[in-house]
Amino acid sequence: MTEPASHAMHDQALQREAAGRWGAAVRISHPADGALEISPNPEVLSEVCGWLFHERGYALATVVAQERAQAWRLLYLFWGGPPAWVRVRIEMPLDRTSLPTIADRVHAADWHEREIEDLFGLSFVGHPRLGDFVLHEEWAEGTNPMRRSFDASRPPAAGSAGEPRWRPGRVVHAAGAFMMPVGPVFSGAAQASHFLLETIGEEVLRTIPRLFYKYRGVEKLAEGRTVDRAVLIAERFTGTSAVAHAWAFCRAVETIAGVTVPRRAELLRAAFAEFERFRHHLAAIAGIVHSTGMTVASSQADLLVEEALRSAGAAVGHRYLFGQVVPGGMYRDWRKDQLDELCRTVESLARRLDTLSRMFRFSSSFLDRLEQVGIVGRGQAEDFGLVGPVARGSGVEADLRTMLPYGSYRELLRVEGHVEQEGDGYARLRVLIAEAQESARLIRKAVARLEPGPVRVEIPAVPGEAIGWCEAPRGATFHWVRLDGDGRVARYRLTTPSFTNWHGFHLAAERFAFQDFPIIMATFGLSTAEGDR
Amino acid sequence: MNLAAGFFLAFVLLGLFGAALSAMVPDRRVPATLAWTASLASVTLLVASGLVLAHGVGFELPLMHLPVLGALGIGMDRLSALFLLVTGLVFAPASMSSAGYLGRYLGRYSLRLYGVLFHLLLVTTALTLAGSDLVTFLFNWRLMSVLCLLLVGFEHGETEHVDAGFLLLSMTEAGVLTAALGVLFLGGLGASGLDFASLRAVAPGVGSTARWAIFLLTFFGFSMKAGLIPGSSWLPRAHPVAPAPVSMILSGAILNLGVYGIVRVNLDLLPVRWVGQGLIVLIAGSLTAIIGILYATIEPDMKRMLAHSSIENMGLVAVGLGAGMVFLASHMPVLAAMGFVVAFYHMTNHSLYKSLLFLGAGGVDMRLGTRDMDRMGGLLRRMPYTGLFFLVGALSIAALPPLNGFVSEWLTLQTLLQSTALASTGVKVAFALCGALLALTVALALTCFVKAFGMSFLGMPRSEGVERVRELPRSMLWPMGLLAAGCLALGLGPTFVIPALDTVVAPLAHGSVTEELVPPFFTLGTSGDARYSGRFVRDFHRIGAQVGRGVIPGRGLVVLHPGGPRNPVVFAMSTAYTAVVLLLLLGSLYLVVRWSTRRRKVRRAAVWAGGLHHLSPDMTYTATGFSNPVRVVFEGIFRPAISEDTRESARGYFRTALTRRQMEPFALDRLFLRPVVGCARWAAARAARPHQSGRVNSYTAAVLLTLLIVLVIAGITM
Amino acid sequence: MSKWILRGLATGVKTTRYPRRHDGTPGISPGLPETGTELVFPEAAGAAAAVCPAGALEAEGGRLGADPRRCIHCMRCAWGSHAVPWNGGYEWARWAAESSSAKLAGAFGRSVHLRIVDAGGCDACLSEVTQLNNPYYNMHRLGFFVTPSPRHADVLLVVGPVTTHMRRPLLEAYGAMPGPRRVIAVGSCALTGGLFGPSFTASGGVAEVLPVDVEVPGCPPPPLAILHALLLLTGRGGEAEQVPEPGKGAAR
Ligand code: SF4
Ligand code: SF4
Repeated sequence: MTEPASHAMHDQALQREAAGRWGAAVRISHPADGALEISPNPEVLSEVCGWLFHERGYALATVVAQERAQAWRLLYLFWGGPPAWVRVRIEMPLDRTSLPTIADRVHAADWHEREIEDLFGLSFVGHPRLGDFVLHEEWAEGTNPMRRSFDASRPPAAGSAGEPRWRPGRVVHAAGAFMMPVGPVFSGAAQASHFLLETIGEEVLRTIPRLFYKYRGVEKLAEGRTVDRAVLIAERFTGTSAVAHAWAFCRAVETIAGVTVPRRAELLRAAFAEFERFRHHLAAIAGIVHSTGMTVASSQADLLVEEALRSAGAAVGHRYLFGQVVPGGMYRDWRKDQLDELCRTVESLARRLDTLSRMFRFSSSFLDRLEQVGIVGRGQAEDFGLVGPVARGSGVEADLRTMLPYGSYRELLRVEGHVEQEGDGYARLRVLIAEAQESARLIRKAVARLEPGPVRVEIPAVPGEAIGWCEAPRGATFHWVRLDGDGRVARYRLTTPSFTNWHGFHLAAERFAFQDFPIIMATFGLSTAEGDR
Repeated sequence: MNLAAGFFLAFVLLGLFGAALSAMVPDRRVPATLAWTASLASVTLLVASGLVLAHGVGFELPLMHLPVLGALGIGMDRLSALFLLVTGLVFAPASMSSAGYLGRYLGRYSLRLYGVLFHLLLVTTALTLAGSDLVTFLFNWRLMSVLCLLLVGFEHGETEHVDAGFLLLSMTEAGVLTAALGVLFLGGLGASGLDFASLRAVAPGVGSTARWAIFLLTFFGFSMKAGLIPGSSWLPRAHPVAPAPVSMILSGAILNLGVYGIVRVNLDLLPVRWVGQGLIVLIAGSLTAIIGILYATIEPDMKRMLAHSSIENMGLVAVGLGAGMVFLASHMPVLAAMGFVVAFYHMTNHSLYKSLLFLGAGGVDMRLGTRDMDRMGGLLRRMPYTGLFFLVGALSIAALPPLNGFVSEWLTLQTLLQSTALASTGVKVAFALCGALLALTVALALTCFVKAFGMSFLGMPRSEGVERVRELPRSMLWPMGLLAAGCLALGLGPTFVIPALDTVVAPLAHGSVTEELVPPFFTLGTSGDARYSGRFVRDFHRIGAQVGRGVIPGRGLVVLHPGGPRNPVVFAMSTAYTAVVLLLLLGSLYLVVRWSTRRRKVRRAAVWAGGLHHLSPDMTYTATGFSNPVRVVFEGIFRPAISEDTRESARGYFRTALTRRQMEPFALDRLFLRPVVGCARWAAARAARPHQSGRVNSYTAAVLLTLLIVLVIAGITM
Repeated sequence: MSKWILRGLATGVKTTRYPRRHDGTPGISPGLPETGTELVFPEAAGAAAAVCPAGALEAEGGRLGADPRRCIHCMRCAWGSHAVPWNGGYEWARWAAESSSAKLAGAFGRSVHLRIVDAGGCDACLSEVTQLNNPYYNMHRLGFFVTPSPRHADVLLVVGPVTTHMRRPLLEAYGAMPGPRRVIAVGSCALTGGLFGPSFTASGGVAEVLPVDVEVPGCPPPPLAILHALLLLTGRGGEAEQVPEPGKGAAR
């Protein structure tokens, strides 16, 4: 959106084609933020979105449903381009509660629509699978917590009557087929989530994840808070990617306020975000090693994780970097010696990671467990709009740092992306390792480029709406924020890489031997805190 | 005419009377009538055969004398008495249970017909075994086969059942024709008639080619009936579809007839002479056992699983017989006797627990309306007694001490281990391989019946019908209880069973094994006697072989093989002691737990399901799932045919259904039945006008045709 | 394989010496605001209290009261103009006010089996719990094990604010444990609901659902604080020998 109108040519080409195809059924406008806005009639909504997605190569960022004072407004935000952002907008009166699905053409929108159906009570005509998604059986039928009329301060779910029961739908029909339930409470320290593995014994034919056990209603909780407070939620709903999400949220707020974040703050944000990615990837690698049962190797990897946590704690006070990124910049500045110390630790950790990964490459018992396991094809990854290391393991770059550069990635920092083609567990591991090394390099580079200066600017309370994005450790995240007149959050739409990738998780968890399940889980490295929100 | 003969005649008359009565009473009364008359007849048969076994005195009742065929008659020696006893043991509970089971057919099928057929089957089966000449034997055999066909196809509404009946008839008929040809061949070698005594008389003069021919014809012919490879294809089709009492009889009594035929000809009339003959039986038995148990393990249909397991058990019987034959041919009468004793022991055991299990399975089928174990689960809560008795049967067949299956399977293994006494290395290797197969079979049998009991009676109900199931009627529980008690008794009392079987075996093996297998420890002094060295006796007395002396009758509680010079291997086993120790342990454990927790409050928590509130039935293991590892490991044998269908909506990513069908056709169909049928069809097409291909009829015709060809070739070569 | 063993040996012993000695390694803990400190400028207390988004700070006259249970480690009172004194260290675990188990601390011998339930935490708490298996902390050496079956569990360790959907699984897990059983609530979410509860989707802490015995404040509490909770529960808390240089507080 901040791109200047140098892409006017592409803009016009897009416009012409849309107008040519649908004529009066679409209205096209150019709001001030530089995006292209298409308002189609509902009948052609799916076609327009399908055209953007499949023919024009746009990716779906998020779907934002808003219950405005007079009407429903749905925004389908696509990125790619140029122009970088295309917004498809639907308005309809409040008493209408159904609209056509786009999931028949844009499969990536599947879960967005299911979520909106659950939380807003809007139904998507033509969507084959609605219901029982975010809200489980505990919630009374017809509860729509994201509606304005819903009182979010009420204690949870007084509505559930009697003994609510959940009847999972089965897909596999075969003599003796059954479902093996896994979770939501696991035997080790694992995030709450639930899976039904459909099997006839031994080979699992299909996996049905059931998520949102950790649904905390973050989007609703943020409403009515000042941005200073809301950023705490953005930071804490998934504490292992605190910087990235805080950054994305702040970028949305800063765009609305129209402020420019000081250069030093942008570099610090990038340094911390890269550190976070580095630490996250170390933990993800350790998780993968752990899932294959290599004890010594996993202790070695664990050491790196704890050392990374300690170095953050020692350099900037908090092991998970909470409290650093705030709207307008950074909460505080750090001295050069503190940051240099951080860089030195990162450098030594990166070296040790390198040694470990070279050892992995020659451990056949390790590779055997990862190769050809949990394969996601490139076409599937594109259709599901997968992001992050998972997508990059399947040959889809989808890195917002290079494709939709923001902050200091625009010019100060060049990211060398790493893409693998096989789409199996080992490909994802290689991506993680390469990205961790690249992050280590970027941290040093960002710190080296720091120049003295302010790290924070004031944020005026301005109403407006904007999207902020960031390449979080697990992939692209999009935070769409609307602020009201006194600078409080009126609507917060949060699309996270785990949400996006959980959607495609079942692709990898098909036709595998039961004992590979932890490995597939680990190589996907998803978080339910991040996905459930 | 002695007492036994009197009882036997009474039995025949009772059976015929029962048949007549069944034909006259109204359908509604048939079950009760049948239960009374048939079980009374069976008991009479038990008495008759029991008398012969106990006193060792048989009888002969000549009927008539035909010109060419010689003397016709019925009679009973110890061998036929044993088989008749087992037949009675199976028929009695089967008759009783008919009272409760038949109700489900009332109004749909003619119960009177069933009553008549059932009684006639009982009589003809007994007469087959009591026939003392080939003609009586064959005549009754074929009557019996037709009756089996009619009873298997009793629910003639279902084509599957009729087909199964026809396959049964055609294959066993082909078998018996082959076997009969073998016996006729023997008769043709100068016997004065076809009565067994005359046949026995010509035996010593038979040349080796003829001996081999007769052996092969009779062994493979009768093994068709016994369910041994390669002719077992009919068994898993026919046994499951019959009404429960008939299934019991088919597996518990009729299969034994095949064994009877093999034993009668190859041990009595024309005893085997070469090790090779025994090896053929041994190897056929081992392969049968492993094939049978493999298919039983993966089978989700409860009754078909039991049918496959019958194949396995008949294989085990053949293993014992084969080993005995090898020893017999190697002039080791004691070991030969051991092999035969073990074979008969196992046969008896199998008759008991298999009829118990078939009755249980039939009862479950009757109540639940399905034989599919994938749809059972949690039955124990609804049918506690059925479950308990089924458990006894399952434990027995899975060879767990102190039950009867353990005794006979353990002894079978021990018999195989005695091969160390043999001279030839090749034979030793064959024994070792068969022993390994046997061990695998036993292990799989455990898996199979853990599955059968666990997946059907334990866990959560996997179909709604289970919630409405009621316990079986008394008339079915009693027979199950009796059979279970029989399993326990045969398990606890090998010291009584073995001497009894030994009397049957001794004339065949020319040796006795009682002294070897169950030495009279209760009466032996510590200094030993001529047979047992003092050291040997003291050793065993020290480990408790005399515990119970003076309290318990018999020879002692331990089954042993002495460490004499001939048989250096010592083994000892006492199921009775095991049972006592088990009871003591469990009892004291119970008391200790009760005592130590007497002040504790017991808090019952639901099944842990990973935090899931409701574990729904489709989230628990199914029988198929439980046995799937076996299916995967032995894929090379099963050669499954898998077909898959998926249904999707909208862009292919919304998968709404994934349907998968997996079939494991019976390996013997693939390896034997189909090639034979194929060859026959081909030959028929060549020889005559295009073959009419009615499914089952073509099987029948094809099998018979092939048989003829084989016979012709055999005739020419001789 | 052997190369891994060699590498393992070459790494040497990394394990902390806690609880025998305090571990003052930088970055091992974020520290907590000191409670009850007399501020140099008493009037600053009010301003400092106002800066806390979680209501963990309270001005009592010139003193500053801090309620660590509420602290979400936003670090806003650690730095900048409203900075208040911070305390390093990590021995933060306390018996819950309602817990009657304090005197039963010895109910467990030296070996305790844990069951961990994520009742809606943000993964940071869970990550810190996981670190206890890290060679740096190696809780096995102290007799603490994570058990695969709730039937063998003595202690239920709960992170997160207990979301609506995790309420029943949590109760199921607790119900599946034999007595005597104890509950440790880890992290401010689990203590007070943190930022997320009480609300329409989350309770105001584990204590609303289960009887909590030991509470560990922090967002997230560092591994040693969780270890301290386990030691406290088994009657081994507070034995550490003080070393002259206590851990620094938050980086300044
Ligand atoms: S660090 Fe804790 S006490 Fe300090 S302001 Fe933040 S929440 Fe309040
Ligand atoms: S206490 Fe803090 S770190 Fe722990 S789960 Fe809650 S938000 Fe995350």
